[in-house]
Amino acid sequence: MATELLTEPARTEQGPPPPRPFGESRPRRRSRLPPFFHTTWESFRIALSSLRANKLRTALTLVGVVVGVAAVIAVVTIIKGLDQTVASTFSSQGSTVFTISKRPQVITSREDFLRFNKRKDVKEEDADAIARLCNRCWRTGIAANAQATVKAGDKSSENVRVRGVTLSMYAIEDTDIEAGRAWTDAEEAAGRDVAVIGADVVDNLFDGAPLDRIVGRDIRVEGRTYEVVGVAERLGSIFGFSRDNFVQIPYPTFKKVFGTHSSLIVFIQVPHDSEMAAAQDQARAIMRNRRGKTFRDEEDGFSLETQDVFIDLYKSATSNIYIVTVGVAAISLVVGGIVVMNIMLVSVTERTREIGIRKAVGASRRDVLMQFLIEAVVITAIGGALGVGVGFALAFGLALAMGFPLLFSVGSAVLGVTVSSGVGIVSGLWPAWKASSLNPIEALRAE
Amino acid sequence: MTEAPPVETPPAESVTSERAEASTARPRSSAPPSALISMRDIWKTYQMGAEQLHALRGVSFDVQRGEYLAIIGPSGSGKSTLMNLIGCLDTPSKGDYWINGKMVAQMDDDELARIRNKEIGFVFQTFNLLARATALHNVELPLVYAGIPAAERRQQAERALQNVELSDRMTHRPNELSGGQRQRVAIARALVNHPSILLADEPTGALDTKTSYEIMGLFQQLHDAGNTIILVTHEHDIAARAHRVISIRDGQIEKDERIK
Repeated sequence: MATELLTEPARTEQGPPPPRPFGESRPRRRSRLPPFFHTTWESFRIALSSLRANKLRTALTLVGVVVGVAAVIAVVTIIKGLDQTVASTFSSQGSTVFTISKRPQVITSREDFLRFNKRKDVKEEDADAIARLCNRCWRTGIAANAQATVKAGDKSSENVRVRGVTLSMYAIEDTDIEAGRAWTDAEEAAGRDVAVIGADVVDNLFDGAPLDRIVGRDIRVEGRTYEVVGVAERLGSIFGFSRDNFVQIPYPTFKKVFGTHSSLIVFIQVPHDSEMAAAQDQARAIMRNRRGKTFRDEEDGFSLETQDVFIDLYKSATSNIYIVTVGVAAISLVVGGIVVMNIMLVSVTERTREIGIRKAVGASRRDVLMQFLIEAVVITAIGGALGVGVGFALAFGLALAMGFPLLFSVGSAVLGVTVSSGVGIVSGLWPAWKASSLNPIEALRAE
Repeated sequence: MTEAPPVETPPAESVTSERAEASTARPRSSAPPSALISMRDIWKTYQMGAEQLHALRGVSFDVQRGEYLAIIGPSGSGKSTLMNLIGCLDTPSKGDYWINGKMVAQMDDDELARIRNKEIGFVFQTFNLLARATALHNVELPLVYAGIPAAERRQQAERALQNVELSDRMTHRPNELSGGQRQRVAIARALVNHPSILLADEPTGALDTKTSYEIMGLFQQLHDAGNTIILVTHEHDIAARAHRVISIRDGQIEKDERIK
């Protein structure tokens, strides 16, 4: 078809239009809103009505977008909840405490495990040496762990963590005693059979009786009877593991009952985190000396750690989860976008006649483009909103099951809907462009 | 396009020279003709492979405001092509076309859309109503694209439906209306934006005889009210209702006669 090459059509200014015959004179009162607004609103209405007309198709089209957004929302919400838990857990000890132990608290391979097992045990003498020689170290404490069955009356609880600790550990760990008291120096020195118990032990053995009535009662650990002198404040759980299922007894008592053959953990606290590095250097030097290591030995023969170990592990775990989730979400959004594009192409083909009619009565290319683009965006925005809902529901379920706080984030909801709307724009663009460039004559002849 | 078998090839050099002349001459001829529609030497040529098909070969005519014109011709005569050009659904390959003082021959898609919206009211053989929309919404459609706010749009559409005596069918969808009612909705839609011309393509082609007479009666009323009507048809008894008949054959005007 030949078209004129003239680019500037000679258009002339019209005088006042002649009186219009049909009906009365035209009330050409233009709205203050631009025409664009009215056509956009119209497009929005058309989009909703055509989506309503094809409910099943719309629902199936949504799936990909819903899955993608739901995955992101669920993971972001869960991880935010975990962040909160982790932050509140580790902030109690803060960054003024480090430990010396035979094995690191996190072991990632069997080889490492075997290597660490060959190390010498950390003994009471090591703790004494640090307490004596490390003048940068403010407080030192000893903790030894065992698992045991604990009984009270006719009740019993298995796999309770029994900790033998020095009194200084209460200060280092900032343990709050909710009822009763910690044991005294004298009781510790004498190796008396006294215990401070965690909230889970109260729940399991005393049916959650009033705490002041539990103080003074007896529990039996491995056949030996201890007097409960105090109940520790509830700490809650982390990653689904309770931190309240423990019985704490004086370290000298623990030594008598469980022997000295197990390795200890030495806790060291400094007054301020600016002194951490110096104190760690000093403690490391003292320990290396005790292990007979020279500066040529790479291996310390012990593990010196801070709580950062956990935080680092947590961070690397969550960043991996984030990466996987973003990957899953990206794939499902791409697939969802392709589905939307496919459906929009079908829709354009089905509605060729409609497009012709609209063009015949004055719809410009941009009007038609906007109509189909808005339709695609409406589909994906609905998908995004549903995804946000499903994602929050999933996170809510998991939060209930695992016991961490649920933090709804408006930001992630907005992001979910925005990203999915963006998918709508991208995948709607081509179908909409196809619709807008249909020849009105051929479009009217369709069907 | 099977219309207008190529009888002769137009001299190619004359086409280019005329075009060059037209482009230089345009500023002088920019004063619009007084006629509502003015077509000057309109050609429409389709390229079919190596062959050129001339659907229209130098058509010229004027339509004055308030005329009732029928364009008649057998199928393949080029009358559909001419209707598409008058209706600004397409642009001519060559020639000048003025509508209501505006030169539309070289307009782009969006400018044509605006002309269709403001100057042309289409009535089609198959009604071409939106199936999912109510009569009222169908009539509102041109006003939507004219950017008129909803309340005003509704008011005007209601008035247009009143004028075709369909006040009681406003919320009906096309499939709930008879053929005659559908065509009246289409006529209300065509007129709602107060176009310069009502352009009807075989408006009675899908209707029975009785309904056809009703619709033709309505056209007569609209003409009496001062509307300019162009009717495209192949039926002589329908064309006979108009005041002027242009007969098209082989892409050229064969006869242009005033009958009333």
